[in-house]
Amino acid sequence: MKKTSVLLADDHTLIRAGLRRVVDAEPDLTVVGEANDGREAVAMAGNLKPDVVVMDIGMPSLNGIEASRQIRAALPDTQVVMLSMHSDEGYVLRALKAGAKAYLLKDSAEADLARAIRAAAAGKSFFSPAVGQVLLQDYMRRLERTGGEDSYELLTPREREILQLVAEGKSSKEIANLLNLSVYTVETHRARLMQKLNLRSVPEVILYAVRKGIIS
Amino acid sequence: MSENTDIGAWRDPTPPSSKLRWLFLCVSVCLLALLLVSHILAVRFLSEMRSQELAAARTLAERTRALSGLGLSIQSYDQAVQQFVALTAADRDAEARRRLDQLTLEIDADFDHYPSVRDSEEDELLNGMRGVFSQQRTLYITILAARPAERRRQAESILAEHLVPVQKQILDWSGKLQAWNGERLQHADRARVTLFANLQESLSRVLAIGFGSGLLLVLGSMAYIVRLDRQTRARYIELARSRHALQQLSARLVDAQETERRAISRELHDEVGQSLGALLVDIGRLSTALSGERPEVKEQVDSLKSVAERTFQSVRNIALLLRPSMLDDLGLAAALEWQGREVSRRSEIEVSVESESVPEDMPDEYKISIYRLVQEALNNAVRHSGARNAKVVVERLSESIMVRVTDDGRGFDPRRSRGMGILGMEERVKRLGGTLRVESQPGKGATVTVDLPIPAGGDA
Repeated sequence: MKKTSVLLADDHTLIRAGLRRVVDAEPDLTVVGEANDGREAVAMAGNLKPDVVVMDIGMPSLNGIEASRQIRAALPDTQVVMLSMHSDEGYVLRALKAGAKAYLLKDSAEADLARAIRAAAAGKSFFSPAVGQVLLQDYMRRLERTGGEDSYELLTPREREILQLVAEGKSSKEIANLLNLSVYTVETHRARLMQKLNLRSVPEVILYAVRKGIIS
Repeated sequence: MSENTDIGAWRDPTPPSSKLRWLFLCVSVCLLALLLVSHILAVRFLSEMRSQELAAARTLAERTRALSGLGLSIQSYDQAVQQFVALTAADRDAEARRRLDQLTLEIDADFDHYPSVRDSEEDELLNGMRGVFSQQRTLYITILAARPAERRRQAESILAEHLVPVQKQILDWSGKLQAWNGERLQHADRARVTLFANLQESLSRVLAIGFGSGLLLVLGSMAYIVRLDRQTRARYIELARSRHALQQLSARLVDAQETERRAISRELHDEVGQSLGALLVDIGRLSTALSGERPEVKEQVDSLKSVAERTFQSVRNIALLLRPSMLDDLGLAAALEWQGREVSRRSEIEVSVESESVPEDMPDEYKISIYRLVQEALNNAVRHSGARNAKVVVERLSESIMVRVTDDGRGFDPRRSRGMGILGMEERVKRLGGTLRVESQPGKGATVTVDLPIPAGGDA
């Protein structure tokens, strides 16, 4: 079986070394390169075409978000696992918008890194459990204070099903096949549920799903 | 972090008192009083002199009139006597006598009508005249006693020997009286002239004194004003300089603070944080490797890991507090949103942030200033307002960047309470050439609005 190739991008050698040891310990994963900053990560990804780039969000010269955007634009088959110190939704949303599939907190990187790399390589989302918790807490608090109702209750069972599949990274076509529906119907459901939840993009859908604990 | 200490402890110093101004005031008042008093005295003196002059003229006129009346009466009497002496017809004798008696009475009356206010000299003259007249009358009575024929015969000699000299005498007396009157008028005139000269002299003395002291006062005041003016100028310049210096100092303080914070934050983040991160990764691997065998060691490693995790968290939080890394990683809008969520998380206020139109190509100074302004305003709201909701709007307008933080708390009177927090905000805003406005009313929430000019060129 072909090993999943991984490019590590972090400006701290200590962290990089630690991550490398974690990845190397997995039989199905292999580190193909290490980049010291965002610019180097983009250049090396272009040369090595790895399956997954593990990227620190804050790096000098070009930060992880911008580097992810460039890599995802140039190499659609390369997935990004974002490493961050912050569980705040601003970071998570921007990482998702930049095309990252997984979002890991550095303090739990060791335990979840391998799972995150595997999920990303398979085109699925992955979040550190703490991220989901923070997002959920924020969401619940806002609901409570503003007295707004939980818009999730407005969704039909079909829409909830499609919401989960969209959040898991599936395309409309894949969802149509899975549910035995026409692509057109799926698109309609998708548009309606996004309107109901006031979500404007797929990253926002993913964030919402993480927040609600629908995916993790 | 700014302290919200009111600067109420400051008391305006009492300026040094000036005795000189009281001196000037006293001298001015004295001068004015002097001028006023001499004016009143002069006016009174002049009016008195005027009334004296009038009185003297009236006296002269009265005496002249009385004297000329007397003269006329005596003349008529003389004529009557002459006629009588020369008269031939005895039948008309009685009529002539009656006429003479009447004239005598008139002359007596004229004497009585002479002004009664007289001094001794005048009295003497008048009495002399009267004496001569009574002499004349005695003479006439003698003549009248004679028979007409004898009278006619003696008429020439009587007239020549007695009447004419007496008449002449009377005229002399009258002339003397008149002359005396004139002399008296002249005398009064001379006295008045002397008095007037005295008045003139004393007036000019008063004027000289007044002018002299007025001149001194003016010179003194001028010198005083010039000195004050110079002092004011010097103080103004000094004040402007120290204000400028103070502003520069506070600008440098703010700069130094930001630089320091950034350096410490980076140090914490890059060195401490990353070492801890690496430590965590390795401890995690160790823990995984130990699972299964030696569970007691794994337990210790796990407790080590949780300590490292907590340390990692607190280092991260301290670093964030010092310098929000999202400002560098994600830009101002994201940092403001994060700030809003942070405040929502740790306080009772739900913060909403609208910052989509914020230009991200601003100089770092602008970004950090806007970030700190919002931070300070939200901090104030959390600490003092008891608000439930707060709204942060950062908007790019045509010629400025507007930052507005509104809360629905209990509000305050911005004229009274102006804490160090707001002072610090003002300082930051002033440095960027902007304006800060605090609008609030007790019970009606508060709004802090900042307008910053759009920076010339982005370097961030």
